[in-house]
Amino acid sequence: MLWAWTPPAAFTERVMSLLNLKNLTVGYINPSGELVPAVKDVSFCLEKGETLGIVGESGCGKSTLARAILGYCRPGSFIMGGEALFEGKDILQMSSSQLRDLRGQRIAMVPQNPLSSLTYHMKVGSQVDEILKIHRGMDSKAARIHTLELFAGTNLPDPDQIYDRYPHEISGGQRQRVVIAGALACQPAIMVLDEPTTALDTTTEIQVLKLVKDLRQENDMALIYITHDLTLTDYICENVLVMLDGKIVEQGRVANIFKHPQTDYSKMLIAAIPRVDAKSGADAFLPATGAPKPLLKVDRLNFRYGQRRSLTAIFKTQEEPLAVKNVSFDLEHGETIGLVGESGSGKSTIANIICGLLTPTTGNILFDSQPINTTAEKRSLDFRKRIQIIFQDPLSSLNPRHRIETILTRPLKIFFGLKGKAARDRAIELLEAMELLPEHLSRFPRQLSGGQQQRVAIACAFAAKPDLILCDEVTSALDVSVQAHVLELLKAIQEKTGVACVFISHDLGVVKQVANKVIVLQKGVVAEAGTTGDVFEKPAHNYTRLLLAAASRENHDPGC
Amino acid sequence: MSVLIHSPGTSIGVALVAIHLLSALLGPLFIPYGPTELAGPSLLAPGSSGHLLGTDVIGRDYLTRLVIGGRTSIFVAMLGALSAVVIGGLIGVSAAYIGGFYDDAIMRIVDTKLSIPGVLFVALCVVGFGRSIPVLTIVIAINYMPGALRIIRSQALTQVPLDYVKSARLRGESKLAVIIRELCPNVLEVVVVEFALRTSSAILAVSALSFLGLGISPPTPDWGLMVYEGIRQIYIAPWLVLLPAFFISTLVIGLNFATDGVANALGLDAARGLY
Repeated sequence: MLWAWTPPAAFTERVMSLLNLKNLTVGYINPSGELVPAVKDVSFCLEKGETLGIVGESGCGKSTLARAILGYCRPGSFIMGGEALFEGKDILQMSSSQLRDLRGQRIAMVPQNPLSSLTYHMKVGSQVDEILKIHRGMDSKAARIHTLELFAGTNLPDPDQIYDRYPHEISGGQRQRVVIAGALACQPAIMVLDEPTTALDTTTEIQVLKLVKDLRQENDMALIYITHDLTLTDYICENVLVMLDGKIVEQGRVANIFKHPQTDYSKMLIAAIPRVDAKSGADAFLPATGAPKPLLKVDRLNFRYGQRRSLTAIFKTQEEPLAVKNVSFDLEHGETIGLVGESGSGKSTIANIICGLLTPTTGNILFDSQPINTTAEKRSLDFRKRIQIIFQDPLSSLNPRHRIETILTRPLKIFFGLKGKAARDRAIELLEAMELLPEHLSRFPRQLSGGQQQRVAIACAFAAKPDLILCDEVTSALDVSVQAHVLELLKAIQEKTGVACVFISHDLGVVKQVANKVIVLQKGVVAEAGTTGDVFEKPAHNYTRLLLAAASRENHDPGC
Repeated sequence: MSVLIHSPGTSIGVALVAIHLLSALLGPLFIPYGPTELAGPSLLAPGSSGHLLGTDVIGRDYLTRLVIGGRTSIFVAMLGALSAVVIGGLIGVSAAYIGGFYDDAIMRIVDTKLSIPGVLFVALCVVGFGRSIPVLTIVIAINYMPGALRIIRSQALTQVPLDYVKSARLRGESKLAVIIRELCPNVLEVVVVEFALRTSSAILAVSALSFLGLGISPPTPDWGLMVYEGIRQIYIAPWLVLLPAFFISTLVIGLNFATDGVANALGLDAARGLY
């Protein structure tokens, strides 16, 4: 008897990959109305428990691809063709209720910017609770207990306290850990991480990555890790895809690509990584001129958050711990000091106090021998002009509704009274110093790439002709290759203007490149201070060694 | 434009609103009668070549009244909603930026206002201050202000922690400059959507008030009023009620559809209702 044997459904599913992308193409509508593909013909398979890295510069279609895996397109973008089979079912054909069950529960996503993925007006604890209640049907009590476990699991200090905070009350690193806790809540089959650790410092990054790695092994969870940073894929992934202009240009085992990159693009990405073991760039910057009086003198600075005047303050019996404890340092004209430490160590708080966003609880800040212990509003125009800050995320620091011209000419008008053509000419000059073009003046920030935006932000800070510039993680939102360019420009303009700089970064490689002196902060306390050479070559404090070890491990030791 | 092509609902909505606005503005040019002119040979005449839709209960041309009947309520609703959104928006953004006691005080006032039923509030004010178009417009504006204020404030709250606001503070910009120059442009999308939603809701409110005898006074033609006037003849001439009701509904539906499309295009969630 002849009969055709058809395999049972369960069997085919078993041999099928967990996720199978076939010729996926996603396009955007550009301003002139044409549909332009951002992801072109991408195909790959992801097996259970596999970790796959997707690397490429910003704009190469990584994030668009990540969204398509969740069956989501940004407004203005469309899936033009292809399939995304998850356990044999095409995600792109699913109904919205099927997608709701899929997202969060089976495929979870950790997006890039934790500030925009958390709701401002809800306590972070309740945001994770919500996921557990909806997807796992827990009641409030069980959800709270589980959330606290998740928080503890993601190394959040004092889960009980963090639970009741709002997103703006915790540091960037803590925020991202909350988001990761939320993504882990349903123990998904696939976790898509879109540049999740870009905003974290080295040690936290390693901890979080290690945690994700452990969880992956426990739950047999597959990971898709999207990043511009090759070193990270090296640490966490088995396989890697390198993307350029929406296409996959290279794929294979991470170790192979790292050792023998095949394409020029991969070689360039590997070469652009700043290394802790590279030559110190301290001599490249103007050395201290030996002025008799320091430009900036920070004297026993203390700061405590939570000095609020609201009703809730009355009910707070416990005082917040000091975020900055007894920090002192001097900065000469033209010198660069690097502030390093993990997130929550008080680096940004110090910058915010110096520039006048926060008032110190106690302690003194002398700028040009005059005390500036007040907020910016109470400082004189001269002081406001002479101290400028560049923030981490240019998309947030440039008003999205203003053209670049408006953004650049505003400080010129306020500080120098320049108007009309004079202001415009000066703005063009500033743009050109940052290797941007005059036609960028008429653009909106969103029409520029991340690197261009940050260069505009730098131009805007230098528009005031400052004596002191505070760089708060200026390159951590940028790709490695773009980062190198921005640092070079920053260095050039600093040499030209002789401005002093407080350079805050969690990236020790970058700090080593730019700073003459380094201060290592741990939980608001100075752990170690000294010249860049001393601190990096002969670290005296355990914490510094730990940071250095974490940084060099990330650079050298694949797959630890 | 791509929004219109991709969503038929939006195109229908925009078309409905456009038809209504055009007919209210230009319609009378093509009709030989005045809205209050006793034009007909008889009362309640059926449609004829002279009066396409016949005449109403006192002999005025019905089509003329129908075409013009939207003018007053659209005007009152739009002006009221515009003032609500602009004034409420400014207060909302300033509350979000300044915060502290100022914010608390404003939001408690808003809460208080939101606890009074809208129709009751408007009806009481009209009874108290008299029936006139300025009173009606101001009352509509005050009625819709708290809701708009709260929504726009919540949008502004998402902007206040961003670095561009900090930059402005560090430049030494005054509070007013930060609010007007930096924050207002970034809540504009919400303001536009709020304006459209509040307008459609206000048109319904004005019509309802006119029907109750608290809105626009006769002999001004108004759809709500016409429904009221026609209701006694509903068994002999049902179109006297149905036509103005149909005009109200199509305008409101059109506005809502159009708003939905615009909100989607701006990436906003218009699914939240009014309160």
